[in-house]
Amino acid sequence: MEFTSTVREKKHVVPKKKYSPVREFWVNFRRQKTAFFASMFILLLIIIAFVGPSIAPYDPYQPDYDATLQGPSSEHVLGTDEYGRDIFSRILVGTRITLSVSMSSVLIGAVVGTVLGIMSGYFGGWLDRIIMRSSDVMFAFPDLLLAIAIVAILGPGLNNVIIAVSVFSVPSFARLVRSSTLEAKENTFVEAAKSMGAPHKRIMFKHIFPETVSGLIVFVTMRIGGAIIAASSLSFLGLGASPETPDWGAMLSMGRDYLGTASHVVMMPGIAIFLTVLAFNLIGDGLRDVLDPKTKNE
Amino acid sequence: MRKVNSWKMLFFALVCSILLVGCSDEKSANSEKGQTGKEKEIVIAVNENFISMDPHNTGDTNSNSVQSAMLEGLLGFDKDGKIIPVLAEEYSVSEDALEFTFKLNQGIKFHDGEDFNAEAVKTNVERIMNDESLRLNSRGFNLITSIDILGDYEIKITIEKPYGAMLTRFGSAKMISPKLIKENSSDIPKSPVGTGPFKFVEWVQGDHLTIERFDDYWKKGERVKKITYKPVPENGSRVAMLKTGEASVIYPLPAQNLEELEANKDVVVSKIPSTIARYVSINTMKEPFNDVRVRQAFNYAVDKDAFINVVNSGFGLPLDSIIPSKTIYYAKQDVYEQNIEKAKELLKEAGFENGFTAEIWGNTNSDTMKGMQFIQQQLKEIGVTVEIKSMEEGTLSDEIYGAQTPEDSKLQMWYVSWSAYASDITNATKPLFHSESFPPNGSNTAYYNNAEVDEWMDAANSTGDTSKQAELYEKIQSAVYKDSPWIFLGVDELLYGSRSDIEGIYVETGGGINVNDANFK
Repeated sequence: MEFTSTVREKKHVVPKKKYSPVREFWVNFRRQKTAFFASMFILLLIIIAFVGPSIAPYDPYQPDYDATLQGPSSEHVLGTDEYGRDIFSRILVGTRITLSVSMSSVLIGAVVGTVLGIMSGYFGGWLDRIIMRSSDVMFAFPDLLLAIAIVAILGPGLNNVIIAVSVFSVPSFARLVRSSTLEAKENTFVEAAKSMGAPHKRIMFKHIFPETVSGLIVFVTMRIGGAIIAASSLSFLGLGASPETPDWGAMLSMGRDYLGTASHVVMMPGIAIFLTVLAFNLIGDGLRDVLDPKTKNE
Repeated sequence: MRKVNSWKMLFFALVCSILLVGCSDEKSANSEKGQTGKEKEIVIAVNENFISMDPHNTGDTNSNSVQSAMLEGLLGFDKDGKIIPVLAEEYSVSEDALEFTFKLNQGIKFHDGEDFNAEAVKTNVERIMNDESLRLNSRGFNLITSIDILGDYEIKITIEKPYGAMLTRFGSAKMISPKLIKENSSDIPKSPVGTGPFKFVEWVQGDHLTIERFDDYWKKGERVKKITYKPVPENGSRVAMLKTGEASVIYPLPAQNLEELEANKDVVVSKIPSTIARYVSINTMKEPFNDVRVRQAFNYAVDKDAFINVVNSGFGLPLDSIIPSKTIYYAKQDVYEQNIEKAKELLKEAGFENGFTAEIWGNTNSDTMKGMQFIQQQLKEIGVTVEIKSMEEGTLSDEIYGAQTPEDSKLQMWYVSWSAYASDITNATKPLFHSESFPPNGSNTAYYNNAEVDEWMDAANSTGDTSKQAELYEKIQSAVYKDSPWIFLGVDELLYGSRSDIEGIYVETGGGINVNDANFK
């Protein structure tokens, strides 16, 4: 009898786990069923991006002129394209291109935009006006049109697509970060740091930046979806990846002549793009619900 | 809140669909009326815009094909591209091939009521000879020394030295009303007046061009009242127009839609051999392409049948000479059958055992992209890495024809095609292989330079003796084919589709659309 009671007592004594923002995030995020599922999908894609070329059943560049435009079969899971190349293998290998192009372009845009946004919000005055007005100028161009113009100047190629997409991401990030900076710099801890004589750099990046992070993460995820579409559109227009690369947009572009006769050639990369963009957007939604202080407590 | 929104959306969708249905109803009712009533109209959808209606200054096939419905020349071409008399009743050529005498048909009137006679012919020929702005297209006519009117309906034209393609040139030079030339020549590119079975009505740039039956046409026949040409560049839209009956004829018909259209009872699909040669021109002055073994290796590396299957969806024939088989004086050569081993051996002999990297240029047309990728895949087999550079047509042309000397040229390989009248072998060879035709003067983008071939071409052009010409062109074909300034790919087969209730419209070997006897069945 006594024995069991001590056990019960011991259980009661176990101290509560320490509070950690990461743990809190994890617990909350797991409750967002769709977003959680979507992030599992993206995780899978990231794994594929690393191992794709080694698990692809066929060489994605190897034509087979005797097996062109075949529908899905046990031999070719997603069918073959106009040169008889295995579409499944091409999509697997293309995952790396799609993810790296979209993520790197958004990250570049985010880094540059964040630095500009913090400076703009923190210093205010003429610097703020210059940065914000030039963002307005950039906003005046439709995103894709601006990207096309940039690629037209730099010449086609995936690297230039990354530059183009990141350039048109910069102003949105700058504006977002500026507004949270304006809010954050009114906090007493910022005032305290100022009164202690902390340098601007330290205040901006040590005290204000962490306040903008949650909004930034949400925006980055949302933006990746858009970047995938932009990069694919550029490839579709022949301004991105060279036509033989298994880039999803380029695959769509080359296959569009067969839309009426062998629709799987465009359908498969189309579905891949659709699912990836959807997943990123769902994650973004979920993250916003978890991270955004305005909706967090509802 | 959400619910209300979705209801609104649903309602909006409903309204939209009702509107759409309403529109389509109205349209089909209209076309039905047009087809059963007296005022019948045929719509022809083509892939590109028209450029000019001036017959003496036209380079593109589509403009040409519209013009041929309204205008006629002294001579013309039959279904196979052979020369036949049209406005001329008969013609004769002197033995030295310098004098051309035409006896004209009588009683022919232009659309504006002017008479067609020797005087009208003279006015037209003089325009082509003398108008500076037509210089690009006055080939042959610049050799004319005299025009003699022998009677109201007889005319003799003399040239200074023999020119092999002169008869073809008389066929392509169409006659315009002398009144228009004299009084209003600036209107010729916009609204030509000729003697053809149809007369010009209106041309809305980028949208449509309409012609109407000319009731006083000199040849009797049943013809439809009105024909409208519409440029529709998007393959899918053109096919949809044919399926719904919005267009009665479409050209070209995309090969990948063939099966689907053949199953359609309302549509007739026709296939004809063409004079359009597809090839990759190789810059023979650049390393490593200056070695004939490298160029031959390229030819051995490419599987022509696979090319036709993959790029042309199975329509076409291998290019087994430097000219298509429909062209006059064609002589079949020994085709470079695909032989990877032999190709590798040739490369090894030339010192490129490990291959090299090369660049191929082409326009952004989806068929060209497909073709360039095919070449890339084939040359990879022999260790040559090909980089594809596709450029917008205008940029591409600047890059290629902007080079003033062969040394300036950055071109390595160009994926392109060439077409000439079946009867005009001069145009099918000289601009492509004569050393005088290096860009920017001509289209010898391979910078092919062979003194012997130059000499044969000049000799063939300056004689009227057909057996001698045949002999010379045979030598030219064999020599050039062996030298491989091109990767010889294929000759297109042209596909066009028409509704089954249409007759009298066909596409010629050069890609022109003949509507002279167009009618509903």
